[in-house]
Amino acid sequence: MDNIQALIPQRPPIIMVDELTEADEEQALCQLTVREDNFFLQSDGTMAETGIIEHIAQSASAYAGHKALQGGAKVPPVGYIGEIKNFHLYQLPKVGDQLQTTIVMGPEAQGVTLLHGETLRNGKELVAKTQMKIFIAQE
Amino acid sequence: MTREEIIEKVKGTLAEEFEVDESVIQPEAVIYETLQLDSLSLVDLVAVVQYTFKVKIPAEELPTIKTFAQLYDYIESHVA
Repeated sequence: MDNIQALIPQRPPIIMVDELTEADEEQALCQLTVREDNFFLQSDGTMAETGIIEHIAQSASAYAGHKALQGGAKVPPVGYIGEIKNFHLYQLPKVGDQLQTTIVMGPEAQGVTLLHGETLRNGKELVAKTQMKIFIAQE
Repeated sequence: MTREEIIEKVKGTLAEEFEVDESVIQPEAVIYETLQLDSLSLVDLVAVVQYTFKVKIPAEELPTIKTFAQLYDYIESHVA
């Protein structure tokens, strides 16, 4: 699909999504391969919990960017995390792992959207799931 | 679903979500004051209604729902 840097405002070294692979009206799928130069990599070779949260947030951002560009925007919108709810971490990914994150957009009120994010490792093992409230800045 | 069932379910779910006593959820009470909603928690109210009753409250209709009685009216008229 689209070049990831066209969809999100983040730039290296803090890009935590490689690709938005699927998207429809209600949900999207993004992926990231954990490499040795990952910004959130820890000394034991695992990715920090904060990196997983950032990956889920950027997956949501990529989805919002994809929808905005499809709607005619020239640049992706800037989104802010308002709140993280019910974050559950099951394992920390390691170098070489591929993360697949599903973002499901939920209700919206006054510019704040509640979304669900769920991350799998190598297509099968649950890494984390959470709810997030994001605020998308309007042009 | 009867109005009484809607009221009971709204009270139970909102009291749990917003950590208030069910007794403060009175028909004429103002929702935003009673639940101490702010710009971030307002979406939680919409989510509770959507996930509990499968009723979506569009952004443009939200300002018309000020009291719990109005919320019950809205759910009653839109629930399947």
